Amino acid sequence: MNYLWHIVNMAGIYAILAMSLNLAAGYTGLLSLCHAAFYGLGAYTATLVMVDVGFDFLPALACALIVTALLSLMIALPSLRLRGDYFVLATLGFQIIVFSVLYNWVGLTRGPYGISGIPVPKFFGLEVDSVAKYALFTAVVGGLGLGVLWLLAHSPFGRLLRAVRDDELAAAALGKNVTHVKTIAFVLSACFAAIPGALFAGYMRYIDPTSFTLTESIFIISMVVIGGAGNFAGPAIGAVLLVLLPEALRFLHVPDSVAANLRQVVYGILLILLMRFRPQGLIGEYDFE
Amino acid sequence: MSELFVQLLLNGLINGCLYALVAAGYALIYNTTRVFHVAHGVAYTAGAYLSFYFLVRLGWPLWASVVGAILLSGVLGASMEWFLYAPLARRRSSLLVAFLSSLGFYTAAINIVALVFGNETQVLRAGVSGTITFGGVIVTKIQMAQALVAGLVVAALLLGLGRSRWGRIIRAVRDNPELASVMGINLFAIRTAVFAAGSSLAALAAVLSALDVGMDPHIGMPALLTAAVALIIGGIGTFGGPVLGGLLLGLVQALVVWQISARWTEAVTFAVLILFLVFRPYGLLSRRQRLEEQAA
Repeated sequence: MNYLWHIVNMAGIYAILAMSLNLAAGYTGLLSLCHAAFYGLGAYTATLVMVDVGFDFLPALACALIVTALLSLMIALPSLRLRGDYFVLATLGFQIIVFSVLYNWVGLTRGPYGISGIPVPKFFGLEVDSVAKYALFTAVVGGLGLGVLWLLAHSPFGRLLRAVRDDELAAAALGKNVTHVKTIAFVLSACFAAIPGALFAGYMRYIDPTSFTLTESIFIISMVVIGGAGNFAGPAIGAVLLVLLPEALRFLHVPDSVAANLRQVVYGILLILLMRFRPQGLIGEYDFE
Repeated sequence: MSELFVQLLLNGLINGCLYALVAAGYALIYNTTRVFHVAHGVAYTAGAYLSFYFLVRLGWPLWASVVGAILLSGVLGASMEWFLYAPLARRRSSLLVAFLSSLGFYTAAINIVALVFGNETQVLRAGVSGTITFGGVIVTKIQMAQALVAGLVVAALLLGLGRSRWGRIIRAVRDNPELASVMGINLFAIRTAVFAAGSSLAALAAVLSALDVGMDPHIGMPALLTAAVALIIGGIGTFGGPVLGGLLLGLVQALVVWQISARWTEAVTFAVLILFLVFRPYGLLSRRQRLEEQAA
C-alpha cells in the first residue's frame, strides 16, 4: 500500500513541477532548460532553513519562494534579452552553473554528500509522518499553488502571455511591454517550481545535487511536451505518464540495472515521435512551431 | 610559479585544440542548417565507442579502428539528417521543434550506448605511451598527437571552406539557403554532407580524447556544450570564430584549474558564455547578421 502512496506522491510532485514549467514554456513560449535548477533552489533553501535554522515547513517554503524569486530574476534579466535558441542556451548555462554551485559549495550545501535529517513537516500542528498522509499534504499544498496558477492562466494576464507567445511583435504594437511580461512569467514559473522542490525535500527527508541535473530539466520538459504544452491539464497528464512508465517496466521484470537506461530510451523515442507526428503533445494547445 | 603555469597553459592549449575540432564540426552544421544540434554529442560518444569496439573487442589495428569509427560516425550524422531533421525542415518546423527532437535522440542514443557497453568508464589503450620534456615542461606523446592531428585537420577544413568550390557552396547555403537552392544547389544533399562531415570531425576528436582519458557514455554532452559555447563566443556564422573560441576555452579552463579548482571549470565555461551573450552576443569575429538572426 505504501508503494502505491509513494507513486501518488511522486506523480503529485512532478505534476506540480511540470505545470509550473508550462507557465513559461507552454503559455509564454519560453523553453527553459534550467527548471530543475529552480526546483533544486527551492528544495535546498527550504532544507537549509529547516535543518540549520529550525523553521517549520510552511515558513521554510516561504523562504524558498523568496530566494527562488530573487535568483530567477537575476537569471531572467540577461537571458530574456536573447531570443530563440540563444535563450535556450543561456538557460542551459544557468542550469549547469546552479548545479555546479550545489555540488561544489560544500560549506553551504554539503556538496555531493547531500543533506540528511530533514524534519518531518508539520502542518498546523499535525505531523505528516506517513506516506499516505504526505500524499494528502502534497495535494493540499500543491493544490493551493495550482489554484493560484489556474487563476493566473485564466486571467487577462494569462491571455497576455499567450499573445506574447503567438506574436511578440503584435503584442508590442498594442502597447504591451513584452520583456516585462516575459520576465514576470519566467519568475512566477520558477517560484511555482520551488513548491514541489520543498515538498520533495520534506518527503525524501534527504536531498543531494543529483536530483537537480540537466537530465532532470530535460525530463521535466519531456513531461510538458508529451502531455501537451499551453493546456492546463496537459503537463499533469505527461507527468503522471512518465512517473508510471518506470513502474510498468518493473512489472515486466526488467532488472534494475537496465531499467534506468531503458526508461531514458523510451522517453527519448517518445519525444522524437511526438515532435515528428504530434508536436502539440497528447492534449496540448501549443506546438512550439 | 612559472613552470607550473607554462605546463598548465600548454595542457589548456592542447585541450583547446580538441575543443576547436569539435567546435569546427559543430559550426559547419549549425551555420549551414541552423539546427541547435544536441545530437552532435551522440556523434562524439559514438566515435569513441566505435573505436573502442573495433580496437579492443575486435582487435583491429589502431589506424583501421580510427578510420572505421570516423566513417561510421559520418554515416550516423547523415542518418540523423535523413530521419530526424530533413522531415522537420521540409515541414518548415521551428527551431524549438528540431531542438526537442534532437534532445530526444540524444537521450535515447546515449542510453542505448550505456545499455550495450555499460555506464562505467572504458579505457582505450593504443600502445602509445611515453613523454617528451622541453625544459621543465612535460608533454605526453598522446598529447602531441592530439595537438598535431587536431591542428592539421582544422587548418585543412578552414582552408577548404575558404578556397574550394565545396567551401563556396557551403558558404552560399549558410548565407541564404533559399537563394542557394534557386541557383541549383541541392539543399538537402548539402545538409546531409555537412552533417556527415561535422559528425566525423566530432568522432575524430572523441577518439583523440579517449586515447588519453578513456570514455563513458555521457562524454558527448560536455563536448557538445563546449562546442556550442565556443561557437557563440567565436561568432555564429563564422568558421574561424569557433576554432578561436575553442582554444580560448581551453586556456580559460587551464587558468581556472591554476587559480581556483578543477571542480569549477564547467561553471566558469558557462559564466563566460553568459558574459558574451550579454555584452558581445555576436562573438569575437563578428559578422553582421540579419535582424531576425541576431541574438539580442
